[in-house]
Amino acid sequence: MAQDLVALSSDYQFWMQKLSVWDQASTLETQQDTCLHLPQFQEFLRQMYEVLKEMDSSAITERFPTIGQLLAKVCRNPFILAYDESQKILIWCLCCLINKDPRNSGESKLNSWTRGLLSCILSTFRFDIKEVGLFTRGLGYAPTAYYPGLLKNMVLSLVSELRENHLNGFNTQRRMAPERITSLSRVCVPLVTLPEFEPLVEALLTYHGHEPQEVLCPEFFDAVNEAFLLKKISLPASAILCLWLRHLPSLENTMLHLFEKLVFSERNFLRRIECFMKDLLLPEAACHPAVFRVVDEMFRYALLETDGAPEVLAALQVFTRCFVEALEKENKQLRFAFKTYFPYASPSLVVTLLQHPKDIPRGLWSQPLRRISEMLQEIVEGQTHGSYGGPFESWFLFVHFGEWADIAAEQLLMVEAEAEAPEALLWLLAFSGSPGAGRRQRSQTMAEVKAVLGRLTKLLRSPTLSARDLQAAAGGGRGGDPSPPACGQLTRRLLLNFLLWAPGGRAIAREVITLIAQTDAITHEVIGFLDQTLYRWDHLCVEAPRPRELARELLTELRGQA
Amino acid sequence: MESLVEHLERFSEVLAVSRTSHVSSWDPATVRRALQWAHYLRHVYRRFGRHARIRTALEQRLQNQWKQEGDSGPAPAPGLVNFQALEHCDHLLSLRLLANRALGDAAFQYLLQQLFPGPGVPDAEEETLQGSLALLARRRAAVHLLHFNAYRENPVLQEDSLMKTQAELLLERLQEVGEGEAQGPGRFLSSLWERVPQNNFLKVIAAALLLPPSSPWLQGEELEPGSPKTPREGGQELLHWLLGKSDVMTAFCRSLPAELLTSVAGRYPELSRVYLGLLIDWGRHLNYDLQKGIWFGTEPRDVPWEELFSRFQTLCQAPPPLKDEVLTALKSCKAQDGDFEVPGLSIWTDLLLALGSSA
Repeated sequence: MAQDLVALSSDYQFWMQKLSVWDQASTLETQQDTCLHLPQFQEFLRQMYEVLKEMDSSAITERFPTIGQLLAKVCRNPFILAYDESQKILIWCLCCLINKDPRNSGESKLNSWTRGLLSCILSTFRFDIKEVGLFTRGLGYAPTAYYPGLLKNMVLSLVSELRENHLNGFNTQRRMAPERITSLSRVCVPLVTLPEFEPLVEALLTYHGHEPQEVLCPEFFDAVNEAFLLKKISLPASAILCLWLRHLPSLENTMLHLFEKLVFSERNFLRRIECFMKDLLLPEAACHPAVFRVVDEMFRYALLETDGAPEVLAALQVFTRCFVEALEKENKQLRFAFKTYFPYASPSLVVTLLQHPKDIPRGLWSQPLRRISEMLQEIVEGQTHGSYGGPFESWFLFVHFGEWADIAAEQLLMVEAEAEAPEALLWLLAFSGSPGAGRRQRSQTMAEVKAVLGRLTKLLRSPTLSARDLQAAAGGGRGGDPSPPACGQLTRRLLLNFLLWAPGGRAIAREVITLIAQTDAITHEVIGFLDQTLYRWDHLCVEAPRPRELARELLTELRGQA
Repeated sequence: MESLVEHLERFSEVLAVSRTSHVSSWDPATVRRALQWAHYLRHVYRRFGRHARIRTALEQRLQNQWKQEGDSGPAPAPGLVNFQALEHCDHLLSLRLLANRALGDAAFQYLLQQLFPGPGVPDAEEETLQGSLALLARRRAAVHLLHFNAYRENPVLQEDSLMKTQAELLLERLQEVGEGEAQGPGRFLSSLWERVPQNNFLKVIAAALLLPPSSPWLQGEELEPGSPKTPREGGQELLHWLLGKSDVMTAFCRSLPAELLTSVAGRYPELSRVYLGLLIDWGRHLNYDLQKGIWFGTEPRDVPWEELFSRFQTLCQAPPPLKDEVLTALKSCKAQDGDFEVPGLSIWTDLLLALGSSA
C-alpha cells in the first residue's frame, strides 16, 4: 500500500502538470496529447479513486492538498469527460471529497465547492449552447433533454457533409478542408464508443479525400480498432477493411490480440478461436490481398518466434479454412485467384492442397496425400528448389492446410498389417514435424516412425493389450539411441490416434495418457491434439461415434486437470 | 388509476419544490422517498408507455398542471411536462437536487450515496441511475466537443443540426399539447412567443415547417392501434397558428432570409399567398425618386427596394406553380396601376423589368 502511494504520488505530479498544460492551451498539439493519454489517465483516476475511497475528506486534503485543483481541471476538460468511463470515476472521486458533517468553515467551503463541480459536470449551463438552451427551456424541457436529439442530428449532418465532400470534392463552396477532417477525427477519439457516433465513425473510415496523404489522425484509428477489439462498437466489414488498409498498426494489433487469446485465455479451444476470428471479420477482410499478406506475415513471424508452436499452427489452419470459405462466398473462381494470395508457391501444389478432403471419398484420401508429398519432396529435395523458396517456405505453405498431415497420420495407422507403410505418407509426416531437418535426419525420423508403426500394428492383433506395452511400442523401445527431436511428438501423435481408433486402445486410453503425460507441456500437447482432432472431424463430417465420444471425454477430463 | 394520478400530482409538487430553498428542511428520509417516487413513476412509464388510454389520461393531467404553473409565473418550471418526461423523471429530480445549494449536508451526502454508489454495484434490472447520469455527462461533453471543434453552421437552415433539433422538439411538444387539449397548441405557441428570443423562434418555425412530414423523431412513439383520436400533426398546428397571428407572420416574412421563405412558401400554398400579399403591400409603400431614379421608403419600417427585389427574385427561381403565381400576381398589380411599360411610374413594371433582365 505504502509503495502504491509513492508510485501514485509521482503519477499525481505527472498528471497535474499535464492537465495544466492541456488546460492552458487548447491547441491542436494539446488536443492530440490529450487523446493520446486518455486511457492512461482513466487508469490513474481509477487508482486515485481506490485510494480516496479509503480516506475521509480531511485525510484526503492533508495527503493531497492540491486534489481540488486537479479534479477541477479534469472537470473542465471535455475530452476526458467524453472518454469511456472517466466522467463516472471523476464523479466518484468528487463524492469522496464531500464531508458528511463539516465542522468548520473550511470544510463547509470545500463541500460547497465540490458540489459546484459535481453539478458542473452534470447539469449547469456552461457547456450549453445559448439559444438552444433558452428555447428548450421555454418549451418546458429539462436542459438535458435535447442532448440525445442534438447529438444525433450533429452526427447525421457531419455524415452527410462527409458524403457530399466525397462525391464532389472540387466543389469548393461546401468543401471540408482536410484540416477540418483531421480535427474531426481527433474529436472523435474519446467518442467512438458512444453508439450515436457509429455512423460518423463509419463515414470517416470510408471517406477518401482528394489528398495524397492520410487525413485522419492515427489516434482515431487506434481508438476505433481498440473499441472494435473490445466489442464496444459495431461496424460493417467494409469499414473495418478500410481501417486496416489505411492503418497497418491496427491490423497488427488485431493479430497480436488474436495471438494473445491463443496463448492465454482460449488456448486449445479451436471452436472459440474460429468464432473469435469471425467476430473480428479477419477471414472476410483477408479476401483483400493486402490484408491477407499482412495476416500471413504475422503468422509466419509468430511461427518463427515460437518455433512452430502447435497453437499457432492450429490457428493458422483455422484461419486458412475460414478464409477459403469467405473467398468462395465472394468469388467462385478462387482457384485462379490464388496466385494473388500465394504468389511464390507452386500453383499446382496450391491447387492440390486446396482440395477439400470432404469432397473426396475417404477411401481415396491417400491419392491427394501422395501427390502433395511428391510435389513437396520435389521442391524441397529436388531441382525446383530455387523457384519456390526454401524448405521453410514450402513447409509454411503446407501447414496452412495442415489437416492433410493429420489425415496422413490417421491413414498410416489404417494400413493393412502386412503392408509396408507408404513412404510418401511417412515423408509428409516427417516433413510436417520438422521443416528444418536435412535429408538424412528426415530419413532417420521416417525410419523411426516406421518402426513405431510396425510395433503398433503388431499390437493391434494382440489379445492382451497393456498400457505399458503400448508405451514401450511408441517410444521407449530402445534405450540410448537418441531420436531426432521431432520424433517424440510424431510418435505421440501416432499413439494417440491408435488409442482413439483401435478398439483395444480405447479401453486403456486413460491409462496410457496418464503414463505419457508426465509434464505440463505434454499434457497441453495431448489436449491440443484432441481439440484439433475433434474440430477436424466435425468440419470434415467424419463419422466415428466411438472415437469421437472418447476424444470428447478425454478432452473434458484433461482440461479439468490442467 | 386515481391513485396513480394522485401520485403523479404529488410527485410534480416534489419536483417543483426540488428547485426551491424549501429543500433545506429535507432530511435523508425525504430524499429517499422522493427518489422512490421517481423510480416508481419511471416504472409506470415503462409499464404503460404503449397503453394509449392511460397515457392520454395522464398526459391531460400533466397539461392541466403545466397550464396552471404557466399562469402563475412568467416561465413555467421545466419539469414533468409530458408523459415522455416520466422516463427521465429520476434524472430530473437528481439533477435538480444536486444543483440545489439549499439541500443540507446530510441530505446531500445521502443523495450522493444513492446516485453514485461506486463501482462493483451490479446493474440490477436495467441501467442504473449512476450509469445513465454518467452517460448524460458524457453526451454533454460530446455535444460540446462537436460544437466547438467540428460543427459548422449549415447555410441551409433546416438542415442545420441546432435548428433541426429545436424544430423537432417544438413539433414533438406541439403534438403532446394537442393530445391534451384541442386549443392547447395555439395557446402554447402564443405564450412561447412572449417568452423566448423571437428571432431564433422564427427560424425554428421555418425549420419545423420544412422538416420532412414524418420525421424519425416522431416515429419512435407510436400509439397503440385504435387510439382514441389522431392528433393533428405538429406542423399543421404550427401553420394554423402562424397564419392566424398577423404580427408573427409579418415578422416571419420580414426577418427570415429570402431563400428560406421561398422554400416554406413552396411547401405551403396558404402561406405563400399571405407572403405574396405582404410583399405587395410593402411594395405599395415605396415611392419613386425621380432625380435618383430609385424606389425608396419614407418610413424606417419600409422595406427597401433591394430587399423586395431579392425576395421576388428568389420566388421566381422556385419551381413552377409558385413561380407562375408570383409572376401572375405581379402582372395583375401592374395592370391595376395602368399597365405602363416605361420605368418609374409603377413599381410593378419596374420589378417585372428587373426580374426579366435578371432572369
